[in-house]
Amino acid sequence: MLKVDGLNVRYGKSHVVFDFSAEVKDGETLAVLGRNGAGKTTTIRGITGLLPGASGRVIVGGTDMSGWPAHRRTRRGLAYVPSGARCFPNLTVVENLDIASHANGDGWTWNKDRIWELFPRLESLRHNLAGGLSGGERQMLAVSRALMGNPRVMLLDEPTEGLAPVLVQSIAALLATLKSTGVSILLAEQNHQMALRVADRAAFIEKGRIVEVLPASRARDSEVLHRILGV
Amino acid sequence: MTPGQVLLFTVGGLSNAAYLFIVAAGLSLVFGALRVINMAHGSLYMIAAFVTVVIANQLGAGLGFWGGLLVAVAVAGAIGGVVEVLVLRRVYGREHLVQLLGTYAVSLVVAGGVRIVFGPNYRTVASPIPGHLDLAGYSYASYSLFMIAGAIVIGAGVWTMLYRTNLGRNIRAAVSDPDLLNATGVNVTRLYTTVFVIGAGLAGLGGSIVAPSQAVGSSIDTDVLVLAFAISVIGGLGSIVGSAVGALIVGMVISFGLVIPQTNPFALAFVFIIMTAVLIVRPRGLFGRPES
Repeated sequence: MLKVDGLNVRYGKSHVVFDFSAEVKDGETLAVLGRNGAGKTTTIRGITGLLPGASGRVIVGGTDMSGWPAHRRTRRGLAYVPSGARCFPNLTVVENLDIASHANGDGWTWNKDRIWELFPRLESLRHNLAGGLSGGERQMLAVSRALMGNPRVMLLDEPTEGLAPVLVQSIAALLATLKSTGVSILLAEQNHQMALRVADRAAFIEKGRIVEVLPASRARDSEVLHRILGV
Repeated sequence: MTPGQVLLFTVGGLSNAAYLFIVAAGLSLVFGALRVINMAHGSLYMIAAFVTVVIANQLGAGLGFWGGLLVAVAVAGAIGGVVEVLVLRRVYGREHLVQLLGTYAVSLVVAGGVRIVFGPNYRTVASPIPGHLDLAGYSYASYSLFMIAGAIVIGAGVWTMLYRTNLGRNIRAAVSDPDLLNATGVNVTRLYTTVFVIGAGLAGLGGSIVAPSQAVGSSIDTDVLVLAFAISVIGGLGSIVGSAVGALIVGMVISFGLVIPQTNPFALAFVFIIMTAVLIVRPRGLFGRPES
Protein backbone atom coordinates (compact mmCIF):
# COMPACT_ATOMS: atom_id res chain seq x y z
CA MET A 1 0.00 0.00 0.00
CA LEU A 2 1.12 3.52 -0.79
CA LYS A 3 0.14 6.42 1.39
CA VAL A 4 1.22 9.95 0.59
CA ASP A 5 0.35 12.63 3.07
CA GLY A 6 0.80 16.36 2.54
CA LEU A 7 3.40 16.17 -0.25
CA ASN A 8 4.70 19.60 -1.17
CA VAL A 9 7.42 20.20 -3.74
CA ARG A 10 9.36 23.39 -4.19
CA TYR A 11 11.98 24.23 -6.82
CA GLY A 12 13.93 27.03 -5.17
CA LYS A 13 11.37 29.72 -4.44
CA SER A 14 8.62 28.34 -6.66
CA HIS A 15 6.05 26.04 -5.07
CA VAL A 16 5.03 23.40 -7.63
CA VAL A 17 3.02 20.71 -5.81
CA PHE A 18 0.61 21.66 -3.01
CA ASP A 19 -0.49 19.21 -0.29
CA PHE A 20 -0.81 16.12 -2.47
CA SER A 21 -2.34 13.34 -0.38
CA ALA A 22 -3.44 9.97 -1.67
CA GLU A 23 -3.77 6.36 -0.63
CA VAL A 24 -3.40 3.47 -3.06
CA LYS A 25 -4.33 0.10 -1.60
CA ASP A 26 -2.69 -3.22 -2.49
CA GLY A 27 -3.80 -4.19 -5.97
CA GLU A 28 -5.29 -0.79 -6.64
CA THR A 29 -4.42 1.68 -9.40
CA LEU A 30 -4.77 5.41 -9.02
CA ALA A 31 -4.50 7.46 -12.19
CA VAL A 32 -3.18 10.99 -11.86
CA LEU A 33 -4.61 13.03 -14.70
CA GLY A 34 -3.90 16.59 -15.71
CA ARG A 35 -2.64 18.74 -18.52
CA ASN A 36 1.03 19.14 -19.39
CA GLY A 37 2.67 21.18 -16.66
CA ALA A 38 -0.06 20.46 -14.08
CA GLY A 39 2.51 18.84 -11.77
CA LYS A 40 2.06 15.12 -12.50
CA THR A 41 5.75 14.37 -13.05
CA THR A 42 6.84 16.53 -10.12
CA THR A 43 4.36 14.77 -7.85
CA ILE A 44 5.73 11.36 -8.82
CA ARG A 45 9.34 12.47 -8.52
CA GLY A 46 8.53 13.97 -5.13
CA ILE A 47 7.29 10.57 -3.96
CA THR A 48 10.45 8.83 -5.25
CA GLY A 49 12.73 10.92 -3.04
CA LEU A 50 14.65 12.33 -6.00
CA LEU A 51 13.68 15.94 -5.32
CA PRO A 52 15.46 17.71 -2.47
CA GLY A 53 12.65 20.28 -2.30
CA ALA A 54 9.94 17.71 -1.48
CA SER A 55 8.36 17.45 1.97
CA GLY A 56 5.51 15.36 3.36
CA ARG A 57 5.06 11.75 4.37
CA VAL A 58 5.47 8.74 2.09
CA ILE A 59 4.52 5.33 3.49
CA VAL A 60 5.01 2.11 1.51
CA GLY A 61 3.60 -1.12 2.93
CA GLY A 62 3.55 0.33 6.43
CA THR A 63 7.14 1.64 6.26
CA ASP A 64 7.43 5.38 6.67
CA MET A 65 10.00 6.43 4.03
CA SER A 66 9.74 10.16 4.62
CA GLY A 67 13.18 11.70 4.40
CA TRP A 68 14.75 8.57 2.89
CA PRO A 69 16.98 8.93 -0.16
CA ALA A 70 15.60 7.58 -3.44
CA HIS A 71 17.83 4.49 -3.61
CA ARG A 72 16.68 3.34 -0.19
CA ARG A 73 13.01 3.78 -1.08
CA THR A 74 13.56 1.75 -4.24
CA ARG A 75 15.22 -1.06 -2.31
CA ARG A 76 12.24 -1.23 0.01
CA GLY A 77 9.68 -1.69 -2.73
CA LEU A 78 9.02 1.68 -4.39
CA ALA A 79 9.67 1.42 -8.13
CA TYR A 80 9.72 4.34 -10.53
CA VAL A 81 9.30 4.25 -14.30
CA PRO A 82 10.22 7.74 -15.52
CA SER A 83 8.73 9.29 -18.62
CA GLY A 84 10.55 9.12 -21.92
CA ALA A 85 11.41 5.41 -21.62
CA ARG A 86 14.61 6.30 -19.78
CA CYS A 87 17.19 3.54 -19.67
CA PHE A 88 20.94 3.40 -19.33
CA PRO A 89 21.79 3.71 -23.05
CA ASN A 90 25.42 2.59 -22.69
CA LEU A 91 24.46 -0.62 -20.87
CA THR A 92 23.08 -3.77 -22.48
CA VAL A 93 19.49 -4.89 -21.93
CA VAL A 94 20.68 -7.54 -19.46
CA GLU A 95 22.81 -5.02 -17.58
CA ASN A 96 19.85 -2.63 -17.39
CA LEU A 97 17.87 -5.41 -15.71
CA ASP A 98 20.64 -6.74 -13.47
CA ILE A 99 21.38 -3.29 -12.08
CA ALA A 100 17.84 -3.08 -10.71
CA SER A 101 17.66 -6.61 -9.40
CA HIS A 102 17.05 -6.70 -5.67
CA ALA A 103 14.53 -8.10 -3.24
CA ASN A 104 12.16 -5.75 -1.42
CA GLY A 105 12.00 -7.62 1.87
CA ASP A 106 9.12 -9.86 0.72
CA GLY A 107 11.57 -11.91 -1.35
CA TRP A 108 11.99 -12.26 -5.09
CA THR A 109 9.06 -12.28 -7.40
CA TRP A 110 10.65 -11.11 -10.62
CA ASN A 111 13.70 -12.38 -12.47
CA LYS A 112 14.96 -12.22 -16.03
CA ASP A 113 13.15 -15.41 -17.09
CA ARG A 114 9.82 -13.87 -16.12
CA ILE A 115 10.74 -10.66 -17.94
CA TRP A 116 11.55 -12.68 -21.10
CA GLU A 117 8.14 -14.36 -20.81
CA LEU A 118 6.48 -10.98 -20.52
CA PHE A 119 8.46 -9.30 -23.31
CA PRO A 120 9.99 -12.00 -25.55
CA ARG A 121 11.33 -9.26 -27.80
CA LEU A 122 13.68 -8.13 -25.02
CA GLU A 123 15.21 -11.59 -24.72
CA SER A 124 16.27 -11.53 -28.33
CA LEU A 125 17.88 -8.12 -27.73
CA ARG A 126 19.44 -8.99 -24.39
CA HIS A 127 23.04 -8.29 -25.40
CA ASN A 128 22.22 -5.11 -27.35
CA LEU A 129 22.94 -1.68 -25.91
CA ALA A 130 19.74 -0.05 -24.66
CA GLY A 131 20.63 3.12 -26.59
CA GLY A 132 20.07 1.25 -29.85
CA LEU A 133 16.54 0.04 -29.03
CA SER A 134 13.36 1.51 -30.51
CA GLY A 135 11.11 3.69 -28.34
CA GLY A 136 8.73 0.81 -27.69
CA GLU A 137 11.52 -1.59 -26.80
CA ARG A 138 13.03 0.96 -24.42
CA GLN A 139 9.67 1.42 -22.74
CA MET A 140 9.40 -2.36 -22.24
CA LEU A 141 12.88 -2.26 -20.75
CA ALA A 142 12.05 0.69 -18.48
CA VAL A 143 9.01 -1.13 -17.08
CA SER A 144 10.97 -4.38 -16.80
CA ARG A 145 13.76 -2.64 -14.91
CA ALA A 146 11.24 -1.40 -12.36
CA LEU A 147 9.81 -4.92 -12.00
CA MET A 148 13.26 -6.37 -11.32
CA GLY A 149 13.18 -4.50 -8.00
CA ASN A 150 10.21 -6.68 -6.98
CA PRO A 151 8.13 -3.61 -6.13
CA ARG A 152 5.16 -3.26 -3.80
CA VAL A 153 4.37 0.11 -5.31
CA MET A 154 4.97 1.27 -8.86
CA LEU A 155 5.02 4.89 -9.92
CA LEU A 156 4.67 5.19 -13.69
CA ASP A 157 5.09 8.48 -15.48
CA GLU A 158 3.46 8.44 -18.92
CA PRO A 159 4.40 4.83 -19.73
CA THR A 160 2.51 4.91 -23.03
CA GLU A 161 3.92 8.20 -24.29
CA GLY A 162 4.83 7.90 -27.95
CA LEU A 163 3.97 4.20 -28.16
CA ALA A 164 2.12 2.50 -31.01
CA PRO A 165 -1.47 1.47 -30.09
CA VAL A 166 -0.53 -2.21 -29.92
CA LEU A 167 2.16 -1.45 -27.34
CA VAL A 168 -0.26 0.72 -25.38
CA GLN A 169 -2.46 -2.39 -25.16
CA SER A 170 0.50 -4.46 -23.91
CA ILE A 171 1.30 -1.93 -21.21
CA ALA A 172 -2.37 -1.79 -20.16
CA ALA A 173 -2.48 -5.59 -19.98
CA LEU A 174 0.74 -5.62 -17.95
CA LEU A 175 -0.65 -3.10 -15.48
CA ALA A 176 -3.76 -5.25 -15.07
CA THR A 177 -1.53 -8.28 -14.38
CA LEU A 178 0.51 -6.35 -11.85
CA LYS A 179 -2.64 -5.18 -10.09
CA SER A 180 -3.77 -8.76 -9.75
CA THR A 181 -0.51 -9.60 -7.95
CA GLY A 182 -1.25 -6.97 -5.32
CA VAL A 183 1.09 -4.21 -6.51
CA SER A 184 -0.17 -0.67 -5.84
CA ILE A 185 0.13 1.51 -8.93
CA LEU A 186 0.21 5.27 -9.28
CA LEU A 187 -0.08 6.12 -12.94
CA ALA A 188 0.42 9.60 -14.38
CA GLU A 189 -0.94 9.70 -17.91
CA GLN A 190 -1.89 12.01 -20.74
CA ASN A 191 -3.73 9.12 -22.37
CA HIS A 192 -6.78 9.32 -20.11
CA GLN A 193 -8.68 6.62 -21.99
CA MET A 194 -6.02 4.04 -21.31
CA ALA A 195 -5.50 5.31 -17.76
CA LEU A 196 -9.18 5.13 -16.88
CA ARG A 197 -9.43 1.66 -18.38
CA VAL A 198 -6.83 0.26 -15.99
CA ALA A 199 -7.35 2.53 -12.98
CA ASP A 200 -9.75 2.11 -10.08
CA ARG A 201 -9.77 5.80 -9.24
CA ALA A 202 -8.56 9.01 -10.84
CA ALA A 203 -7.09 12.08 -9.17
CA PHE A 204 -7.35 15.19 -11.32
CA ILE A 205 -4.67 17.77 -10.73
CA GLU A 206 -4.47 21.34 -11.86
CA LYS A 207 -1.68 23.83 -11.06
CA GLY A 208 -0.11 21.38 -8.61
CA ARG A 209 -3.26 20.69 -6.57
CA ILE A 210 -5.68 17.77 -6.54
CA VAL A 211 -9.02 19.22 -7.56
CA GLU A 212 -11.09 16.04 -7.53
CA VAL A 213 -10.78 12.29 -6.95
CA LEU A 214 -13.37 10.05 -8.61
CA PRO A 215 -13.87 6.33 -9.20
CA ALA A 216 -12.67 5.55 -12.73
CA SER A 217 -16.18 4.51 -13.81
CA ARG A 218 -17.53 7.96 -12.93
CA ALA A 219 -14.47 9.87 -14.11
CA ARG A 220 -14.96 8.88 -17.76
CA ASP A 221 -17.81 11.29 -18.41
CA SER A 222 -17.20 13.66 -15.57
CA GLU A 223 -17.31 17.40 -15.87
CA VAL A 224 -13.83 17.65 -14.35
CA LEU A 225 -12.35 15.43 -17.08
CA HIS A 226 -13.83 17.63 -19.79
CA ARG A 227 -12.79 20.81 -18.02
CA ILE A 228 -9.22 19.83 -17.12
CA LEU A 229 -8.25 17.80 -20.14
CA GLY A 230 -10.44 19.66 -22.61
CA VAL A 231 -12.00 16.48 -24.02
CA MET B 1 68.54 6.64 -36.59
CA THR B 2 69.52 2.95 -36.30
CA PRO B 3 66.94 0.22 -35.53
CA GLY B 4 68.63 -0.19 -32.14
CA GLN B 5 68.09 3.47 -31.36
CA VAL B 6 64.47 3.31 -32.50
CA LEU B 7 63.92 0.41 -30.09
CA LEU B 8 65.69 2.30 -27.30
CA PHE B 9 63.57 5.41 -27.72
CA THR B 10 60.42 3.35 -28.18
CA VAL B 11 61.01 1.63 -24.85
CA GLY B 12 61.71 5.06 -23.34
CA GLY B 13 58.42 6.31 -24.78
CA LEU B 14 56.56 3.27 -23.50
CA SER B 15 57.89 3.73 -19.97
CA ASN B 16 56.84 7.41 -20.09
CA ALA B 17 53.44 6.29 -21.37
CA ALA B 18 53.19 3.68 -18.60
CA TYR B 19 53.09 5.97 -15.58
CA LEU B 20 51.27 8.71 -17.49
CA PHE B 21 48.54 6.24 -18.46
CA ILE B 22 48.01 5.15 -14.87
CA VAL B 23 47.63 8.79 -13.75
CA ALA B 24 45.48 9.82 -16.74
CA ALA B 25 43.23 6.76 -16.35
CA GLY B 26 42.38 7.91 -12.81
CA LEU B 27 41.69 11.45 -14.00
CA SER B 28 39.53 10.14 -16.82
CA LEU B 29 37.62 7.68 -14.65
CA VAL B 30 36.71 10.46 -12.21
CA PHE B 31 35.67 12.81 -14.98
CA GLY B 32 33.65 10.12 -16.79
CA ALA B 33 31.57 9.19 -13.76
CA LEU B 34 31.53 12.37 -11.68
CA ARG B 35 31.87 14.99 -14.45
CA VAL B 36 34.46 16.70 -12.28
CA ILE B 37 37.84 17.85 -13.55
CA ASN B 38 40.09 17.14 -10.60
CA MET B 39 42.88 19.71 -10.39
CA ALA B 40 44.11 17.98 -7.22
CA HIS B 41 44.84 14.74 -9.11
CA GLY B 42 48.53 15.64 -9.41
CA SER B 43 48.65 16.36 -5.68
CA LEU B 44 47.61 12.80 -4.88
CA TYR B 45 50.31 11.56 -7.26
CA MET B 46 52.90 13.76 -5.51
CA ILE B 47 51.89 12.69 -1.99
CA ALA B 48 52.17 9.03 -2.99
CA ALA B 49 55.59 9.60 -4.57
CA PHE B 50 56.87 11.23 -1.36
CA VAL B 51 55.36 8.56 0.89
CA THR B 52 56.95 5.84 -1.24
CA VAL B 53 60.37 7.50 -1.19
CA VAL B 54 60.31 8.10 2.56
CA ILE B 55 59.19 4.58 3.45
CA ALA B 56 61.50 2.89 0.93
CA ASN B 57 64.50 4.89 2.16
CA GLN B 58 63.64 4.10 5.78
CA LEU B 59 63.12 0.38 5.27
CA GLY B 60 65.62 -0.11 2.47
CA ALA B 61 65.05 -0.67 -1.26
CA GLY B 62 63.34 -3.87 -2.26
CA LEU B 63 60.75 -4.79 0.35
CA GLY B 64 60.73 -1.19 1.60
CA PHE B 65 59.65 0.05 -1.83
CA TRP B 66 56.78 -2.42 -2.21
CA GLY B 67 55.58 -1.69 1.32
CA GLY B 68 55.88 2.01 0.54
CA LEU B 69 53.86 1.54 -2.64
CA LEU B 70 51.01 -0.14 -0.77
CA VAL B 71 50.97 2.51 1.96
CA ALA B 72 51.23 5.32 -0.62
CA VAL B 73 48.27 4.05 -2.64
CA ALA B 74 46.23 3.65 0.55
CA VAL B 75 47.18 7.18 1.69
CA ALA B 76 46.28 8.68 -1.71
CA GLY B 77 42.96 6.79 -1.71
CA ALA B 78 42.15 7.87 1.83
CA ILE B 79 42.97 11.53 1.13
CA GLY B 80 40.87 11.24 -2.03
CA GLY B 81 37.96 9.97 0.05
CA VAL B 82 38.24 12.91 2.44
CA VAL B 83 38.48 15.41 -0.45
CA GLU B 84 35.40 13.87 -2.09
CA VAL B 85 33.32 14.11 1.06
CA LEU B 86 34.50 17.56 2.15
CA VAL B 87 34.93 19.34 -1.19
CA LEU B 88 33.48 17.56 -4.20
CA ARG B 89 30.06 16.86 -2.71
CA ARG B 90 29.59 20.61 -2.56
CA VAL B 91 30.43 21.20 -6.21
CA TYR B 92 28.71 18.30 -8.05
CA GLY B 93 26.38 19.58 -10.71
CA ARG B 94 27.86 23.08 -10.55
CA GLU B 95 29.61 24.62 -13.54
CA HIS B 96 33.11 23.36 -14.30
CA LEU B 97 34.69 26.66 -13.17
CA VAL B 98 33.47 26.14 -9.59
CA GLN B 99 34.78 22.56 -9.65
CA LEU B 100 38.13 23.70 -11.05
CA LEU B 101 38.49 26.35 -8.37
CA GLY B 102 37.45 23.94 -5.61
CA THR B 103 39.90 21.23 -6.59
CA TYR B 104 42.62 23.81 -7.42
CA ALA B 105 42.29 25.08 -3.85
CA VAL B 106 42.87 21.51 -2.62
CA SER B 107 45.98 21.25 -4.82
CA LEU B 108 47.39 24.49 -3.31
CA VAL B 109 46.75 23.25 0.24
CA VAL B 110 48.43 19.92 -0.54
CA ALA B 111 51.41 21.62 -2.24
CA GLY B 112 51.94 23.81 0.82
CA GLY B 113 51.55 20.85 3.15
CA VAL B 114 54.04 18.75 1.18
CA ARG B 115 56.65 21.55 1.33
CA ILE B 116 56.18 21.81 5.10
CA VAL B 117 56.29 18.06 5.73
CA PHE B 118 58.89 16.93 3.18
CA GLY B 119 60.90 20.12 2.62
CA PRO B 120 61.88 21.82 -0.65
CA ASN B 121 64.59 19.37 -1.75
CA TYR B 122 64.24 16.71 -4.38
CA ARG B 123 64.44 13.14 -3.13
CA THR B 124 65.31 9.92 -4.87
CA VAL B 125 64.91 6.24 -4.16
CA ALA B 126 66.84 3.27 -5.50
CA SER B 127 65.11 1.01 -7.99
CA PRO B 128 63.46 -2.01 -6.34
CA ILE B 129 64.27 -4.01 -9.47
CA PRO B 130 67.93 -3.29 -10.21
CA GLY B 131 69.72 -4.61 -13.23
CA HIS B 132 69.27 -4.18 -16.92
CA LEU B 133 68.65 -6.03 -20.10
CA ASP B 134 71.02 -5.73 -23.06
CA LEU B 135 69.44 -5.78 -26.47
CA ALA B 136 70.75 -4.71 -29.90
CA GLY B 137 73.66 -2.88 -28.39
CA TYR B 138 71.70 -0.90 -25.86
CA SER B 139 70.91 -1.38 -22.20
CA TYR B 140 67.40 -1.26 -20.82
CA ALA B 141 66.65 -0.76 -17.12
CA SER B 142 64.69 -3.71 -15.80
CA TYR B 143 62.51 -1.27 -13.85
CA SER B 144 61.44 0.49 -17.08
CA LEU B 145 60.25 -2.84 -18.45
CA PHE B 146 58.46 -3.51 -15.14
CA MET B 147 56.68 -0.13 -15.42
CA ILE B 148 55.46 -0.98 -18.91
CA ALA B 149 54.23 -4.41 -17.84
CA GLY B 150 52.67 -2.89 -14.71
CA ALA B 151 50.73 -0.33 -16.75
CA ILE B 152 49.38 -3.07 -19.03
CA VAL B 153 48.24 -5.09 -16.00
CA ILE B 154 46.67 -2.02 -14.37
CA GLY B 155 44.95 -1.02 -17.63
CA ALA B 156 43.55 -4.55 -17.97
CA GLY B 157 42.48 -4.40 -14.32
CA VAL B 158 40.64 -1.11 -14.76
CA TRP B 159 38.95 -2.42 -17.93
CA THR B 160 37.91 -5.62 -16.15
CA MET B 161 36.57 -3.63 -13.22
CA LEU B 162 34.53 -1.41 -15.57
CA TYR B 163 33.15 -4.10 -17.87
CA ARG B 164 33.11 -7.28 -15.81
CA THR B 165 31.99 -6.28 -12.32
CA ASN B 166 28.81 -4.91 -10.77
CA LEU B 167 30.76 -1.89 -9.54
CA GLY B 168 31.92 -1.14 -13.08
CA ARG B 169 28.39 -1.58 -14.43
CA ASN B 170 27.14 0.89 -11.83
CA ILE B 171 29.92 3.34 -12.72
CA ARG B 172 29.00 3.13 -16.40
CA ALA B 173 25.34 3.67 -15.51
CA ALA B 174 26.29 6.72 -13.43
CA VAL B 175 28.10 8.13 -16.46
CA SER B 176 24.85 8.15 -18.44
CA ASP B 177 22.13 8.88 -15.85
CA PRO B 178 22.96 9.23 -12.13
CA ASP B 179 19.40 10.33 -11.32
CA LEU B 180 17.92 7.17 -12.80
CA LEU B 181 20.61 5.09 -11.12
CA ASN B 182 19.56 6.51 -7.77
CA ALA B 183 15.94 5.63 -8.51
CA THR B 184 17.07 2.14 -9.50
CA GLY B 185 18.28 1.45 -5.97
CA VAL B 186 21.98 2.29 -6.18
CA ASN B 187 23.47 4.62 -3.57
CA VAL B 188 25.03 7.10 -5.98
CA THR B 189 26.58 9.22 -3.21
CA ARG B 190 28.57 6.22 -2.01
CA LEU B 191 29.36 5.18 -5.58
CA TYR B 192 30.85 8.62 -6.28
CA THR B 193 33.08 8.35 -3.21
CA THR B 194 34.21 4.89 -4.34
CA VAL B 195 35.02 6.13 -7.85
CA PHE B 196 36.96 9.09 -6.49
CA VAL B 197 38.92 6.85 -4.12
CA ILE B 198 39.77 4.54 -7.05
CA GLY B 199 40.82 7.56 -9.16
CA ALA B 200 42.94 8.86 -6.27
CA GLY B 201 44.43 5.40 -5.80
CA LEU B 202 45.43 5.34 -9.48
CA ALA B 203 47.05 8.77 -9.11
CA GLY B 204 48.88 7.36 -6.07
CA LEU B 205 49.90 4.24 -7.94
CA GLY B 206 51.32 6.38 -10.75
CA GLY B 207 53.27 8.52 -8.27
CA SER B 208 54.56 5.51 -6.43
CA ILE B 209 55.63 3.61 -9.53
CA VAL B 210 57.39 6.63 -11.03
CA ALA B 211 59.36 7.43 -7.84
CA PRO B 212 62.41 5.18 -8.56
CA SER B 213 62.76 6.56 -12.09
CA GLN B 214 62.46 10.31 -11.43
CA ALA B 215 63.50 12.78 -8.74
CA VAL B 216 60.58 13.50 -6.44
CA GLY B 217 60.06 17.18 -5.61
CA SER B 218 57.25 19.51 -4.71
CA SER B 219 56.53 20.58 -8.29
CA ILE B 220 55.87 17.13 -9.78
CA ASP B 221 52.14 17.61 -9.12
CA THR B 222 51.72 20.28 -11.80
CA ASP B 223 54.21 18.59 -14.15
CA VAL B 224 52.16 15.39 -14.24
CA LEU B 225 48.78 17.13 -14.15
CA VAL B 226 49.55 19.13 -17.28
CA LEU B 227 50.59 15.98 -19.16
CA ALA B 228 47.62 13.98 -17.80
CA PHE B 229 45.28 16.70 -19.04
CA ALA B 230 46.96 16.70 -22.45
CA ILE B 231 46.54 12.91 -22.60
CA SER B 232 42.90 13.14 -21.56
CA VAL B 233 42.16 15.84 -24.11
CA ILE B 234 43.88 13.86 -26.88
CA GLY B 235 42.36 10.50 -25.93
CA GLY B 236 39.00 11.86 -24.74
CA LEU B 237 38.12 12.56 -21.11
CA GLY B 238 36.13 9.68 -19.66
CA SER B 239 37.60 6.99 -21.91
CA ILE B 240 40.10 4.47 -20.50
CA VAL B 241 41.09 3.36 -24.02
CA GLY B 242 41.52 7.03 -24.89
CA SER B 243 43.82 7.45 -21.89
CA ALA B 244 45.95 4.55 -23.11
CA VAL B 245 46.21 5.88 -26.67
CA GLY B 246 46.77 9.44 -25.45
CA ALA B 247 49.50 8.27 -23.07
CA LEU B 248 51.21 6.34 -25.88
CA ILE B 249 51.17 9.41 -28.14
CA VAL B 250 52.46 11.74 -25.42
CA GLY B 251 55.05 9.24 -24.16
CA MET B 252 56.43 8.65 -27.65
CA VAL B 253 56.41 12.31 -28.65
CA ILE B 254 58.40 13.23 -25.54
CA SER B 255 60.84 10.33 -25.94
CA PHE B 256 61.59 10.85 -29.64
CA GLY B 257 61.25 14.64 -29.42
CA LEU B 258 63.93 14.86 -26.76
CA VAL B 259 66.52 12.73 -28.54
CA ILE B 260 66.31 14.29 -31.98
CA PRO B 261 68.61 17.36 -31.77
CA GLN B 262 66.42 19.52 -34.02
CA THR B 263 63.27 18.88 -31.97
CA ASN B 264 64.82 18.70 -28.51
CA PRO B 265 63.94 22.27 -27.42
CA PHE B 266 60.33 21.78 -28.56
CA ALA B 267 59.65 18.22 -27.35
CA LEU B 268 57.01 19.25 -24.82
CA ALA B 269 55.61 21.86 -27.18
CA PHE B 270 54.78 19.07 -29.65
CA VAL B 271 52.51 17.48 -27.06
CA PHE B 272 50.47 20.64 -26.85
CA ILE B 273 50.50 21.19 -30.61
CA ILE B 274 48.94 17.72 -30.97
CA MET B 275 46.50 18.52 -28.17
CA THR B 276 45.48 21.74 -29.90
CA ALA B 277 45.08 19.96 -33.23
CA VAL B 278 42.83 17.35 -31.60
CA LEU B 279 40.79 20.11 -29.94
CA ILE B 280 40.26 21.76 -33.33
CA VAL B 281 39.50 18.63 -35.35
CA ARG B 282 37.74 16.51 -32.72
CA PRO B 283 37.02 18.49 -29.54
CA ARG B 284 35.82 15.46 -27.58
CA GLY B 285 39.15 13.67 -28.14
CA LEU B 286 39.92 10.54 -30.14
CA PHE B 287 37.79 8.19 -28.00
CA GLY B 288 35.64 10.61 -25.99
CA ARG B 289 31.88 10.84 -26.12
CA PRO B 290 30.15 14.22 -26.47
CA GLU B 291 28.95 15.63 -23.13
CA SER B 292 25.18 15.42 -22.89
